[in-house]
Amino acid sequence: MSDRRLRYFEFWRRDPRRDVDDEIEFHLEARVADLVTKGLSPTEARRQATAEFGDARAVREQALAIDHRILRRGRRTEWWLDVLRDARVSLRSLRRTPTFAVTAVLCAALGIGVTAAILSATYSILIRPLPYADAGRLVAVYGENTVRGYHGSNISWPDYVSWRDNARTFASIGIWTWTTATLSDDASEAERAYGALVSANLFPTLGVRPILGRYFTRDEETPGRDAVVLLSHRLWQRRFASDSAIVGKRIMVDGRANTVVGVMPASFNFPDRGDIWLPFSVTPANEEHGNRGYAGAIGRLKPGYTIEQGTADLHAIDANLEREFPVENRGWRAEVKSMREDLVGDLEQPLKVFVAAVALVLLLVCANLANLMLARGTTRAREMAIRTALGASRRYLTMQLITESLLIAAFGGVLGIGIAWWGVRLLRFAFPDQVPPFFISLTLDAPALGFVAALTLATGILFGTVPALRASRADPSAALREGARGAGGGGSVHRSRLRSALVVAEIAFSAVLLVGAMLLVRSYQNLAATSLGFDEKGILSARVALPEETYSRARTKVFFDELFARLRAEPGVTAVASAQGIPFSGWNVQSETRIEGTPKPKPGEELIAHFQFVSPDYFKAIGVPLVRGRWFTEADHDTLNPVVLVNEQMVKKGFGGADPIGKRVHVGGDKDPTATVVGVVRDFRHYRLPEPMGPAVYFPYALYPSRQQAIVIRTTRADPHTLTTPLRNAMRALDPRLALYQVQTFDEAVATSLWRQRLQGNVLSIFAILAVVLACTGLYGVISYTVAERTREVGVRMALGATRGNVLALVFAQSGRLVVAGIALGLVAAFFATRLLETLLYGIRPTDLTTFFSVPACLAVVALAAALIPARRATKVDPIIAMRAD
Amino acid sequence: MTRPTDLLQGTLDLLILKTLSWGPAHGYAVARWIEQLTGEVLRIGEGSLYPALHRLEEREWVASSWQLSNTNRRTKVYRLTTKGRHQLRSEAGAWTQFVDAVYKVLKTEEQPA
Repeated sequence: MSDRRLRYFEFWRRDPRRDVDDEIEFHLEARVADLVTKGLSPTEARRQATAEFGDARAVREQALAIDHRILRRGRRTEWWLDVLRDARVSLRSLRRTPTFAVTAVLCAALGIGVTAAILSATYSILIRPLPYADAGRLVAVYGENTVRGYHGSNISWPDYVSWRDNARTFASIGIWTWTTATLSDDASEAERAYGALVSANLFPTLGVRPILGRYFTRDEETPGRDAVVLLSHRLWQRRFASDSAIVGKRIMVDGRANTVVGVMPASFNFPDRGDIWLPFSVTPANEEHGNRGYAGAIGRLKPGYTIEQGTADLHAIDANLEREFPVENRGWRAEVKSMREDLVGDLEQPLKVFVAAVALVLLLVCANLANLMLARGTTRAREMAIRTALGASRRYLTMQLITESLLIAAFGGVLGIGIAWWGVRLLRFAFPDQVPPFFISLTLDAPALGFVAALTLATGILFGTVPALRASRADPSAALREGARGAGGGGSVHRSRLRSALVVAEIAFSAVLLVGAMLLVRSYQNLAATSLGFDEKGILSARVALPEETYSRARTKVFFDELFARLRAEPGVTAVASAQGIPFSGWNVQSETRIEGTPKPKPGEELIAHFQFVSPDYFKAIGVPLVRGRWFTEADHDTLNPVVLVNEQMVKKGFGGADPIGKRVHVGGDKDPTATVVGVVRDFRHYRLPEPMGPAVYFPYALYPSRQQAIVIRTTRADPHTLTTPLRNAMRALDPRLALYQVQTFDEAVATSLWRQRLQGNVLSIFAILAVVLACTGLYGVISYTVAERTREVGVRMALGATRGNVLALVFAQSGRLVVAGIALGLVAAFFATRLLETLLYGIRPTDLTTFFSVPACLAVVALAAALIPARRATKVDPIIAMRAD
Repeated sequence: MTRPTDLLQGTLDLLILKTLSWGPAHGYAVARWIEQLTGEVLRIGEGSLYPALHRLEEREWVASSWQLSNTNRRTKVYRLTTKGRHQLRSEAGAWTQFVDAVYKVLKTEEQPA
């Protein structure tokens, strides 16, 4: 150490210029002296010595340059040695107060980790460019109806063609719609693949090129020339073993040989997932303006045009169409949104809530850190005073305090980065399939992490350094005289008030978060507890699609009847049925419906009902009871005079609550037949929560055996999934080229549909718990500190006859004031803050009274429990020792 | 007096290190000793001596300290460090080898086969 001290002074106090001058001067003088002894006159000697030496300036400059380098290096080494020494001293000092050190480090780590994770996720989802070329100019186009108030509706081919050919603000517009197809060949098992029918210009519009082969051509949009297919990278790798010669080969798609024309890149997907793309081929003569059966369009705006301008452009075209086709196009126009909004629109609101919540958590963390540091700074004021009195320089003390704060910051930071990294990974599992969609790459965002870390560290350093330094600047003797009461300087009262204010703020923040979390959790519970109207336990469902080429309507019926018979023979199976789409699967076809004998409704007031074809046992299998009339039977297959079941909503909205049995309804277009109602079934949720239930009409599937059906098996087996293999075997025994897809139990389908609500509740609950823990730590710290500070006072009180109860009350009164103030402030803030949640809530108001009452109660109990430990310590004070303590 | 031969690169460092191996010395003494020992064949120009000394100090082969001379002047005195001593040993070995090799060539009368 002493050696280092010396070097320290050596490097900081040296003047290299003087040194080099002295050295050269000494040389010259010595030479002169030598020459004089050899007999030269002093003047002559001096002249010769100078001449011999040569260019003294050059020597001086060279030597100086080297010396400066030496000096810089020396200072650098010195600085690092200082840092190391300070770090060692600080570590030792932190180890003496492990509770403080661990709490502070954890607090910083949690703050940094949680906040950075949420900010990174938000950035990844809402801001990072989508993986398309110049994605900012891409828009999704759907239909909307201003008369009926529809949004996000399908579009028709002729409307699309009008947009494509007349839009001035778009560089290109392509149309697409969903599709699924069964891939079968001799080499591997048949499988059902998701994908889309896309117009030839759609992928060029997105700006993504195939990695192998080519796009579709315009010519391939014609029926008969459309036997081509584009593959996803994933499917190409998995099913075709990355065959580099795949282009030009033929694969079986829905029983038809299609030529592979290309493979898309790995980073690409469309619309949000998909493995195959087929040409969007239509016969224009068959397409009508009113036939809105296609999912949507994707457009690329010309550079410089906004979405608003693009929308106005399309609306002008729509206005012309409405004049030309007043019936088909009444009220219809394009609904244009940015590609990002289309893809992640429903995540935007929850993410905004998360960011707001996480900002609160970050504030709380900073407040808590400040509190911890202040407490420590205050208790150390005396130490600082003593060290100042003993001669420690202020620079040295400052450096040491900063090092201490930095050490906590460094540990907290490293741990925080770990938590953030882990948190981002964990967030992947928040997505319904445990995999985020292709356009979201969840990664830790460095700027977000940097910002959060810097804020946390700055808080720690500021509050860790300033108070102790203020104390050390104050007259050391005053601080020392204050003695055992610990605090230094005159700022003690001011500081304890600041700390109380921080605790009040912390409690207020946690109250806001708790209220928010509780509202979201109860919304989710409300949704989950909603009576679905069917019994979702013990049902396995799966979809089967039969290729059109080989299955006529009659053969389709035979196939399903045979399949059902085989499944009914399985042990544990109590009912087998089918429908076109099961509840919560997203399948929802609706049509205009008219009751026979009622006047034609005014445009915009048509009765729209859900309809589908179901097998006779469908309602029995999913547990929906019959309210009136009779069930379907196998005999209900008269296509000329069909029978239907309706739900209660239909009775209410269509028949004005009157008995509908025997009445006739007409669903769909003029060519579709009119059907007689034979029964009424209980309402049940079909589409998804929280959408309300609507009217529905059910046809017997014998009428129109759909080639794509959802099979529903009710079982007494504990795990319905054990039926998957028997189901697959039964299907393969009938036709080995078929694939089973969307295999899931009913409860899985329901749970998946609620993932966003569950996620909201879970994330906010984690934040709220974190907040409460932090706030309690803060409260605990403040109360412990005051108890320690008032030990002497408590001792005096007890000596004068105060009971333990009195002392406890004294401490609790202080805690109570802080808690009440915090909760009051928090509830006022929550009253305004929860408006942000309004659209995310279900079955609960943002100002729900139960929540606003129960949150303060819980918070108060937890907070006072945190104060109990130091309070009990106060009661254990021995008056004699307390008073003698100083 | 003819100007003495220029020293080969690195040779000056070697000579300085050798000189200091006898004990601490200031720059003037180093220059004089080298001159005396080589019978003034090798005269160290001050123009290269001082930069060389400082460079050796930067490499931590020599260390310096300030002393008062008998004429009561501040004198910078250099001494060899452990690192410098190792350097001297290996440099000297290499130098001797080099000289031997050159000498062998110069002494040979016949052209090798």
